[in-house]
Formats: sequence, C-alpha cells, structure tokens
Amino acid sequence: MGRFIWKGSLLLIVGILLLGISYANAQDKIKIGFFAPITGPAAADGMSAKNAVELALKEVNEAGGVRGKKIELIIYDDRLNPQEAVAIANKLIEKDKVIGVVSGSYSGPTRVTAPIFQKAQIPMVAGYAVHPDVTWDPKERRPNDFCFRNGFLGEIEGAAAAEFAVKHLNAKRISLIFMDNDFGRAISSGFAERAEKLGATILTKQMYKFPGEKDFRPYLTRIKEGNPDLIFAAGYYNEAASIVRQAKELGIKAQILGEEGFDSPKFLEIAGPSAEGVIIATNLDRDDPRPIVQNFLANYKKMYHEDADMVGASSYDAFMILIQAIEKAGTDPKAIQKALLETKDYNGLTGKISRFVQGEVVKPVQIQIVKGGKFRRLAVVDNPEVITPPVKK
Amino acid sequence: MLIQQLANGIAIGSVYSLISLGLTMVYGILRILHISHAGIYTLGAYVGWFSFRLVGNFWLSLFIGMIGASFSGYLVERFLYTPILHMPRIAPLIVSIGLFIAMEEAFRIIAGPHTLAYNARIGIGDLSIGSFHLTETQILILIVTFIILIFLWTFLTKTRIGLAMRACAQDAEITSSFGVNVRAIIAFNFLIGSAMAGAAGVLIGVYDNQVWPTMGSIPAYKALAIVVLGGLGNIPGTVLAALIVGLAETFFIGVLAIPFPRDAVAFIAMIIVLMFKPYGLLGKA
Repeated sequence: MGRFIWKGSLLLIVGILLLGISYANAQDKIKIGFFAPITGPAAADGMSAKNAVELALKEVNEAGGVRGKKIELIIYDDRLNPQEAVAIANKLIEKDKVIGVVSGSYSGPTRVTAPIFQKAQIPMVAGYAVHPDVTWDPKERRPNDFCFRNGFLGEIEGAAAAEFAVKHLNAKRISLIFMDNDFGRAISSGFAERAEKLGATILTKQMYKFPGEKDFRPYLTRIKEGNPDLIFAAGYYNEAASIVRQAKELGIKAQILGEEGFDSPKFLEIAGPSAEGVIIATNLDRDDPRPIVQNFLANYKKMYHEDADMVGASSYDAFMILIQAIEKAGTDPKAIQKALLETKDYNGLTGKISRFVQGEVVKPVQIQIVKGGKFRRLAVVDNPEVITPPVKK
Repeated sequence: MLIQQLANGIAIGSVYSLISLGLTMVYGILRILHISHAGIYTLGAYVGWFSFRLVGNFWLSLFIGMIGASFSGYLVERFLYTPILHMPRIAPLIVSIGLFIAMEEAFRIIAGPHTLAYNARIGIGDLSIGSFHLTETQILILIVTFIILIFLWTFLTKTRIGLAMRACAQDAEITSSFGVNVRAIIAFNFLIGSAMAGAAGVLIGVYDNQVWPTMGSIPAYKALAIVVLGGLGNIPGTVLAALIVGLAETFFIGVLAIPFPRDAVAFIAMIIVLMFKPYGLLGKA
C-alpha cells in the first residue's frame, strides 16, 4: 500500500511538472498576428512585407525576445481580398488570441479589419495602407484609437510630392495621371490641392482603370499635347513601369514624379533604362546613414538575395513599433495601445516618428531619384504644414 | 496629335484582331466558344518570353511562341474538344472555361505570380516625323499583323486547304461528302488560329513589356465581343471590328478624355451594332 502511494505521488509530481512545462511554454511566447497579400495580384509587395517582418522577428527573438519572452508571429495570406481579411481578423482574435497585429497589406484588406480590431480592443499597426478609414471610423465619426499607421496618408504623401515639385523642381505646368482606386484618388487630390496652393497650374487630370490598364499611350499622347514640365503619376509598380516606359517611347521629356507605389525592385526591372531620373515621394531613404537603415538593407539582401523596398521597410517598422510598445507596457492589449498613443520621437527605419495624431504618423516624407538603376536620396520634405495630418472631428 | 492617337489605336486594334481571328475561325467551323483561346494567347507570351531568355533573339522568340501556341491549340482540339463534339455545345464551353482557369493557375504556379519583363531588343528603331512618333514596338505590331493577315488571306483564298476550310465553315457535312478530311481541316484551323494568338501574346508582351499569368483574362471576353461585333465566324468582319474597338478605346481616352473604363468600349460598340445589324458588322443572316 505504501509503495502504491509512493508511486502514485511520484506520478502526480511528474504530471504536475509536465503540465507546468507546457503551460510555461504557452505562456512563454507572445503572439502577434500578421497578414499580407502573399499570393494574388499584389504578391510581390506581400512577399516583401512578409520577408521584412520575418527578418524583424528573427532579430528580436535572437536578441532574447521581449521581456524575456519569445515572439510568435502568426502569418495569414489575405490574397488582397477584403472578405478574406475579415475572416483572418476574426481568426486572429478568437482562435489565435493575439495581443497585437501588424498589417502588411493594402488599404482594401486593412480598412475592413480596422473596425474588428477596434471592437476587440486589439492594437493594430498598419505598415503602408493609405486609406483614411484605417484609423478613422466614418460611421461613428471618431478615430479607431486601437489602429495606428506607420505609412503616410495618401493626401499627405501627395502634398509632400507637390511641395517638392513646385518649390524645388520649379514645376509650373503639371499633368496628373492616376489610377482609379482609393490610393490613386487620395494621393492625386493631395498633390493637386497643394500644387495649386503653391501657384502651379494643373493642365490635365486623367484617371485610368485599376487593375487592368496596360496601354497608357492614349493618356500620354494627350499629356504630351499640353507640353507640361512635370507629370505626377500615381500607380503601383506595374502601372508605374508602363507609364514611365511608354512616356519615354513617345518622346516625352517632362520630369516624371511618382509615389511610393513605384518603390519596388520590380518597377526598376520592368521600366529598365527608362526609369533613370524618375523621382518619387516615398517612405524609405536608402541613403540614410543611421545604422538601423543600413543594417536592415544589408541583412535583407543577405537573407533574401534581393533589394529591400518601401513596403518591406514600412512593415518592418510597423512590427518594431508594436514590439517597442510591448517592451514598454507588457502584454496587455490596452496597455500596449496606451504605449503606442504615447510614442514620442521613435527612431524608426523609415524615419523618425515624432508622434501619432489620431493614429496617423508624423514623420518626414522621403524624396528619392532613380540613379544607375537604384533609388537614391534626393531630398526630404519635413515642412510641418505639409506632413502633419489634419485632426478630424 | 490626332494622327498619333490614330497610330496608338491601330496598334492595339491590330493585336486585338490577331487574338480574335483564331476565335472566330474556331467558331466558324465548330460553333464552339473557345474561351481557352485566351489561355493559349498567354501561353504564347510565356513561351516567347522563355525562349527569348534562352536564345536572346526576339524574332526567333516570336516564332517559337507562335509554334508553342499553335501546338497547344492543336492539343486542345485533339484531346478536349474532339471527344465531346457529339455533346450539346454547352459541354465544350464549360470545358473551355475550365481549361482557361486551369491554365492561368498553371502559369502562376510554374512562372510565379510576378510580372515578367520581356525587355527585348528588336532592332527596328523608332520613326519620327515632326511631333508624330511611331515607336519601335508599334512598327513591329503593324508589320507582323500585316504579314500575318496577308498570309491568312492568301492561304484562305488561293490554296486548296484554304478552300476546304472555307467550305467546312459553311457546311462541314456536305464538305465531308466531297471527300474532304474534315478532322484534318479542323486541326488546321486550330493550328493557324492558335499561332496567331501566340503572336498576339508575344507582341503584347513586348508592347507592354510585361508577361503575367492573368494577361488573358481581359482578352478572353473582349475578343468575344469583337468576334460578335464582326459577325460570328466572319474573318474580314473580325479584323474590321478589332480595329474599330482599338481606335474607339484610344479616342475615348485620349481625345474625348472621357474617364471611362476602356474595356467597356468593345461591349458598348457590340450592343450598338447589334441593335441595327443583328448579325454583326459583316455577318450574314
């Protein structure tokens, strides 16, 4: 009988120990959710975002994790499909029970998930989605105060591009060509408003169908007729490459100014030599001497054998912003949100973030130029009048 | 600038005609809506792109692209359509749509989801007269389309096989009773039509400098509208309709500056023409 009790209690102890270990294992990891369009029409951007965030994850975990715990990243592919994104958001909250989320996706999938995370009070940081409704609830007319954005609002980036075009390139006669989606409309309206305020004339505004348009010659022929000194073009890398290439073919000499959609190695590859001299407003300065930037560029290249782009850098930043908030506040989602709200002068990969205004980032816009088949620094737009997001009511 | 837009419109219209011709020829002889024709067009672009990477000569890659498309068109006819020809016409249509979707996915899996740049050096050079500017790729499209159309016209009107093909399009059973091997004629139709689709794929690959898995999805329905517009099965009508659609799209965008999705133009043209001419531009009742 005695032996039986002895054996039984031994078993019990082992059992408790095992339970304890598995419990500790589950508790030892901090779960963060991530979604991006890893397949589908935006696969190049989705892969960039995923690669960059996985690089960030590796760096954080190799340095010992956060508050002594490793980070577990739960990755989903939204295929650029908003319905898919809604399902992913619910899964992340209910099944995976994450304490924070990083969006490596476009506006479409990101904006539909924002109200879901807001309701569940799980903080989300969006890497580069531009739509205003990511951080703002248009129905309730109040900010989604659990959602933050590391990239620029479309209007702000457009205004910064206009600031540079008119003040530094002395553009007076400008033609606009942009895609018919949230991003294209927002960025070109921001551009047009600022450019006209600074005294430039907008000759033509042409909108093209997205996705699907490949032949921009009819648009460009019309632009050529007006003889502008600058063309502001908005589109993602495929359209951007077509516009730039076909403009050169048609003998258009006007300076082409683009935006962060151009910022991809794919743009340089498809546009080829016609990309030389194209200027873009974007969210990554490759010639920034700060070690965080140079290390990222070098490590990314080493790990994935291709150059990093804006999308990757912005997603990396979004992840790291969330990590630093967890470092500061612990693993309670509400405390993390509070820490994010209090972000001040954060030294990010895509620039120094002075603060968040209603979830919108305040930081300088980078102006880059294509030289020798690579994006290089040309200027930085930091006029507070341009880069401070408007406070909504 | 009007003349520049004219060149833009004729160039894109020429490519449309190359895609649509195969479709109209297949319809003429088999009465099948050959949706996967657009998949063969994409295949031609990929084969062209791949062979350009291997051999580095654009003209050779155009030729290989056409051969690849031609052969795959034959395979589709031999192993997909022929076995089910006795079924109602809805069966080959469903097969065709299914094959098209499968092909798009296959391109994505094999060649990756990314857009590939053709970056071909053709070596014709641009043509500039004053402010009018014909780009190298536009000249290329005009030359290739012209040669193919001349070849097709000569083939259909001057050769015995061409005569047999036209006879089959009118009435396959009677033609067969005259001792013509209808199966062989159908195969010939697919070989020629698919080669033209392959040429269109390579030309668009160079014109846009992009080859991507879903490049056939818009031509799949646009070519259908063009074929109906021209009069189902009517070859000169199809060429005319393709040029009209290409020009109309270009003028809507570039001259009238109507912010209007280009891909709707073909259908609007189709609806308008069908209201007045129910059998299409050159179609006969």
